[in-house]
Amino acid sequence: MEKFIQFLINGIAIGSIYALMTVGYSLVYSIMNFSNFAHGGVIMLGSYFGFFAITILKAPFWLAALIAMTGTTLLAVVIERLAYDPLRRRQAPSLYYIISAMGISIFLENIVLATLGADFRNYPPLFQTSGFYIGGISIGKLDVLILVVGTISLFGLMWLIEKTKIGLAIRATSFNLRAANLMGVNTEFVIFVVFGLGGLLAGLAGVMYGLRYTVWPQMGLITNKAFVAAVFGGLGSLPGAIVGAISLGIIEAMATGYISSNLRDLIAFVLLVTILVVRPSGIMGKATEDKA
Amino acid sequence: MKRALTLLLSLIMIIGLFTSCTPAAPGADTGGDTGEVVKVGWIGSLTGDQAIWGQCERNTIQMLVDEVNDNGGLLGKTLELVALDTQGKGEEAYTVTRRLIEQDGVITILGPNSSGEALGTIPALEAGGVPDIATVATNPKVTFDNGKVNPYNFRVCFIDPYQGSVAAAYAFNEMGKTKAAVLYDQSLDYSTGLTEFFIEQFEKLGGTIVAKEAFNSGDQEFKTQLTKIKSAEPDVLFLPYFFKEVGLTAKQARELGLDVDLIGGDGWPSEQLFDIAKDEMQGGLFVNHLDYADPAVQDYTKLYTDEFGKPPELNGFLAWDAFKVFEAAVNKANSLDPEDITKALEGIEVQGITGFIKIDPETHNPIGKEAAILRIEGEEYKFVTKYSVE
Repeated sequence: MEKFIQFLINGIAIGSIYALMTVGYSLVYSIMNFSNFAHGGVIMLGSYFGFFAITILKAPFWLAALIAMTGTTLLAVVIERLAYDPLRRRQAPSLYYIISAMGISIFLENIVLATLGADFRNYPPLFQTSGFYIGGISIGKLDVLILVVGTISLFGLMWLIEKTKIGLAIRATSFNLRAANLMGVNTEFVIFVVFGLGGLLAGLAGVMYGLRYTVWPQMGLITNKAFVAAVFGGLGSLPGAIVGAISLGIIEAMATGYISSNLRDLIAFVLLVTILVVRPSGIMGKATEDKA
Repeated sequence: MKRALTLLLSLIMIIGLFTSCTPAAPGADTGGDTGEVVKVGWIGSLTGDQAIWGQCERNTIQMLVDEVNDNGGLLGKTLELVALDTQGKGEEAYTVTRRLIEQDGVITILGPNSSGEALGTIPALEAGGVPDIATVATNPKVTFDNGKVNPYNFRVCFIDPYQGSVAAAYAFNEMGKTKAAVLYDQSLDYSTGLTEFFIEQFEKLGGTIVAKEAFNSGDQEFKTQLTKIKSAEPDVLFLPYFFKEVGLTAKQARELGLDVDLIGGDGWPSEQLFDIAKDEMQGGLFVNHLDYADPAVQDYTKLYTDEFGKPPELNGFLAWDAFKVFEAAVNKANSLDPEDITKALEGIEVQGITGFIKIDPETHNPIGKEAAILRIEGEEYKFVTKYSVE
């Protein structure tokens, strides 16, 4: 039982990092109907921004997170303007967006490799590594911080979407972009805001991830898992993204704990495929036809 | 406007196409003023997860090539280095090896820096008849597979069975450990190789393996595996993979209250290990290729640090030795023909900075190279002892 709870805690800890990343995918998907693979690159740069804010500017942790989030918000918006806006004007199919997004992702990774090099960088420790214990169960302080920050920001986001005027506009646009536009919603602005929000969360995710692990140019690869979690929870649904991410974390931990660490990814992904076969729109997704 | 942009982009792509080929072309012309040019290749990871090692190797070899040229060249010819990136992948290593042989006409290839890449070079080298001297490719299959030697693959490092066996024997005999746990990267040849031979040796000596857990390359989260390991109550934990994951493992293990001794292989030492987990790594022991306090080692370290502003990684030392072996083979053969160099490499003896190297003609491995056991103390690797198993 003690082991079970420890596995559960490990699963939730990794799941909450996935969640911060997953939401960015889902937000963009809900409006634009394509998977923004550049998100991983933005998260990676967010991690670097936070790292340099702490080491060079000697900023305290909260300020570093703020700097990183500002940086990634700008970056996400700029990417939207440069890479996606021209496609939208031409009414290109989603496939073009995806290819463009992959291009950006490779570009971001390589620009970091070319300028900063392949070295790993490490955030100075925020806490001593020792966790605290309840009975025989260890809980990492960082994990708690990530969970708290993640929960606050995700609830904040849901509040924004559900209760504010811009949230209403986002929901309308995600329901039907053309119709929303005809009804007087400034969809250009909505898209702008959605990318900005995605960037904001990417910055936070990057700093959290860097703090927990290390920073290096290929770290954006972890977002493969986040993407899987987004599909799992239902692309385009915010609560779905969060549920999907936490479930993926827990499934991975349980598969490692009770079956075999060799088979972890195998089990997690077989489960994913099974769920998609049974329920193609994911756990909480809206029914869509084009899921790529 | 849009058309102009399209035109510009395609122009950039076309220019890109040419610039990637140019290093090969001018080399042939510029050699005119210093006599003929002869090319030596280097392959390894300049990008990807292992890029810092590849970059250090390339820098070292470039340094040595310049030195040879300053001293009159190799057999009177100017030596030129063609260094290509494998991105740390075996399939990419195959492609660049073929390119070096077919387009650049290199006489020998140095590197790559890991087993996965080196395994990819085997068919390309056999087809092209050019020898390769790997630096830190420690998987046995790189030079010797199924009782047959790969005719063009050589190496200057000792092999995985040896590292794994040394770690197991040292833990059992010298540290008095009897219950070992292993965490390994199942998608890495290097890691599975070390694991296999560690377990074999440890069990042969009479110890038990209480837990064996795996992860995949790219993973950063090992807590669940470590929870399982902790409940198996080992007295030593073997971590046969690279410093980034090793550092993170140590951190997460301590966080879970798993306080056993850590032991590992040559994937540990890096200037960056201490950034990740300095406190958690204290007292950790690992098997390595050299003793950092050795004067020969320090000479090179100083030379490299002066030139590049940071100390070399472990790979630099073996890259140095690989180059010295290549140079000795050319001089012994007194020929720049790849086949002659291959023949000369068999049985060659060179005093390298990582130890005395004698290439066994039967297996193309250096024979009887002793391993060094090092302990992490503060930010230093303290030499403990030279250790070998039969």
